[in-house]
Amino acid sequence: MNLKSIRIKHNIKLQLFLISAGLLFIYKMFFYSDTSFLLKLLNEIIVFSTVLFMVLYANDLFNEKKFTPLSLVMNLGILCAVIFLAVLFSDSLLPVLFGKISDTLKNPDFFFKIISFLYVLFFAAVVSQLFLIFKELHFLKQKKSSSIYFTTMVWFFLLASITSIMDFFPELSYIKNTFFIISIILIIFNSIKISWIAFITKKEKLSLLLLSVIICVLFFVNLFGSSHENSHYQIFSGFSSSLGEFYLIIMIYGAAYFMVLFFTTLFHIPTAEAYDRKAQEVSSLQYFSKLITQVLDFNELTETITEIALKVSNADAAWIVWKYERVLKPIAHKNIGYLDAELINDFIFRNKSFIESHSSFIQSLEKFEKRSQLNELYSTVLVAPIETHNEIRGYLAVTKKSDFIFDDEDKSAIDTFSDYASIAIENSRLLEESIEKERLEKELDVAREIQRKILPSKDPVYEKLSVSSVFIPAFEVGGDYYDFFEIDEDPDKVGASKFGFVIADVSGKGISAAFIMAEVKGIFESLSKTIESPKEILTKANQILKRSLDRKNFVSAAYGLIDFKREVISIARAGHCPLLLVREGKVVNIRPQGIGLGLNYGDQFNLTLEEIELDLRDNDMIVLYTDGITEAKNLDMEDFGETKFETILLDNSEKSADEISNEVIKEISQFSKHNTQHDDITLVILKWKPRQSAEGGRDRQNLKIHGEKEWQNSTPQLKTRVI
Amino acid sequence: MAEFNTSVKNQGDISLLYLNGYLDAHTASVLENNFSDLIAKDKFKIVVNFKDLVYISSAGLGVFMAFIEKIRENNGDIKLTSMSDKVYNIFDLLGFPLLYEFYKSEDEAVKKFEETDKLEK
Repeated sequence: MNLKSIRIKHNIKLQLFLISAGLLFIYKMFFYSDTSFLLKLLNEIIVFSTVLFMVLYANDLFNEKKFTPLSLVMNLGILCAVIFLAVLFSDSLLPVLFGKISDTLKNPDFFFKIISFLYVLFFAAVVSQLFLIFKELHFLKQKKSSSIYFTTMVWFFLLASITSIMDFFPELSYIKNTFFIISIILIIFNSIKISWIAFITKKEKLSLLLLSVIICVLFFVNLFGSSHENSHYQIFSGFSSSLGEFYLIIMIYGAAYFMVLFFTTLFHIPTAEAYDRKAQEVSSLQYFSKLITQVLDFNELTETITEIALKVSNADAAWIVWKYERVLKPIAHKNIGYLDAELINDFIFRNKSFIESHSSFIQSLEKFEKRSQLNELYSTVLVAPIETHNEIRGYLAVTKKSDFIFDDEDKSAIDTFSDYASIAIENSRLLEESIEKERLEKELDVAREIQRKILPSKDPVYEKLSVSSVFIPAFEVGGDYYDFFEIDEDPDKVGASKFGFVIADVSGKGISAAFIMAEVKGIFESLSKTIESPKEILTKANQILKRSLDRKNFVSAAYGLIDFKREVISIARAGHCPLLLVREGKVVNIRPQGIGLGLNYGDQFNLTLEEIELDLRDNDMIVLYTDGITEAKNLDMEDFGETKFETILLDNSEKSADEISNEVIKEISQFSKHNTQHDDITLVILKWKPRQSAEGGRDRQNLKIHGEKEWQNSTPQLKTRVI
Repeated sequence: MAEFNTSVKNQGDISLLYLNGYLDAHTASVLENNFSDLIAKDKFKIVVNFKDLVYISSAGLGVFMAFIEKIRENNGDIKLTSMSDKVYNIFDLLGFPLLYEFYKSEDEAVKKFEETDKLEK
């Protein structure tokens, strides 16, 4: 019987109840003890409707709340106790007030009528409440289909109650008896179907065991107390025989239900712990799978892992053994000191075969010789590997004190759990990695921005010299730097009289290289204003860098100065790639001796640094570059190389500086098009082209030899002077 | 990413350090650790064999600079041997031959260490 299906508005139910209760009151005032069958029938109908509306009204109040089984049982117990006390009270009080009830019933006075009306109404309320609680209990954790059994039972309750009116005709009492017996059978059948018992914890089961005994006894007392001699029952059945019957049936139901409940609970006690653990496992795993998506911090994650591991395995202490390089260290230790965990680690992993074990294992600590050094006498350890991508990152260890040992269930629980832990740890690692990657990319953006601002934004233009520069940054900023300086001796004269240039390559990559580059720019910019000699500038630069360069950082650099008036170029080189001079179909390496900046701060640097000076001729081309060009790589990891570079320069030497640099870059990108660019590429081409008419008488055939040094592989025509 | 690895062999109080692969900014830390380890064990006489080194970048060169001072303070040295022309050229451009001893073969470097030892005695 689905009480909800009777859809009447809540306050209307209340009104209907009040009306029928009023009707009942009026009826009782007039025909309290009438014995005609029709009036009895009318009486039962009014009583029935009153109780029905009461139940409907109360049922609405029920549906709004969720109950735990134990609270329902408690409610039943309280109600049952109320009935017990009420009966006890009424049994002693009512006869005092009204004399022998059976006599009074035959001829009730007004006072008795009111008292009995209120009395019965109170009991009707309590009994209907009992019924509703039983209904709630019955449907706890039940499948829908089971409602039919309960509904059938309720129908037979009603039939048995209503047909009690047939007692009027003693020969028809078998009808009531039949329904009554069927009701009892159905009660037994329904009581067996207690499905919620499995879902409560062991502690709750224990208290339920006690409760069910008390309540069962109470129901029995109430049931057997309702004998025909007792005034409570007399009032009740005298008021309405069906209500009296219903009351009896509910008492029987209660007694049967709690008897069955007692035994069911008793049988469930031994397995209660297993159920508790399963429930805890499930809730832990749920909790943990949530964590997998939430935890970002590795330390926080490991703490949570050990915390849950404790719960899952019923262990006394837990920790994670994490692999740092080759060392195993305990982390996130719970309920155990770091030193204890470390001692146990040493013992477990002394056996090499356990390291790299891909499955969990249980190790007894009985034979652990340092066991007495532990703060607590742990007896066994259960260890499960934490792996990501088939690689063992660490172990989850749980341990128990006392004589209890881990069983297979603990083992499988920890196994499952460590799988989850592995996934969570892998997630947190991946996240960390991607954050780190993003940070690096941001850093590189900054580095590229620094570099872009440091390098000259446009090439200078001179009458006698055309300048073309190309710079292609690598993804990881490579630390290339070049710059041009105009040097005016005479401020009144239009145009620069001298032209300084520098090319440098800072060791290392990224943001640190960019910062050094910025410093190097500052150094050369200020030095070029006061010093002309390339050798002197590089010497000074080396001294200044001593203050700021790390020992493992250095800068390769070449500085040159072109004197427009004297038409000479002087060059000093500190570890940088040689400069190339392309003259009359030949390429000459200009490679004066010199150690890279920052490699040596003593005399060695100063003593070995050379500066050379050479005269410039028409169409001379000076090429500055960084190793990004010669070391540009193709797919086979072959270098672009000097030879190729020189050939391109020679082949295009007649073209303008811009055209030549374009040609070089085109060839390099063609060569390395399938490979990433590993280093910055810098190319600066200086082309000397005095006006056609000027200095016609200058001897172009022979360069004067100012110094003794002859440069390796150079053509005989090229002689330079070393300063 | 290109591979780089090292191995160490002891010959008396001289340590032979073999380099293999590509030594650049990403792999320089491997070599750094090697030097740190050797210094921690008071091994200051080091011969670095470049026979199987394919490439060295500026960051790789920096590693040698980082430790040479400490090693020479302790009467030791880093001697570089058996390198290809290409690798030597990189060292040469930067002027390393003015700061370090380079040898064609490992034996020459070891012999040099032994001779210096004898002189000191």
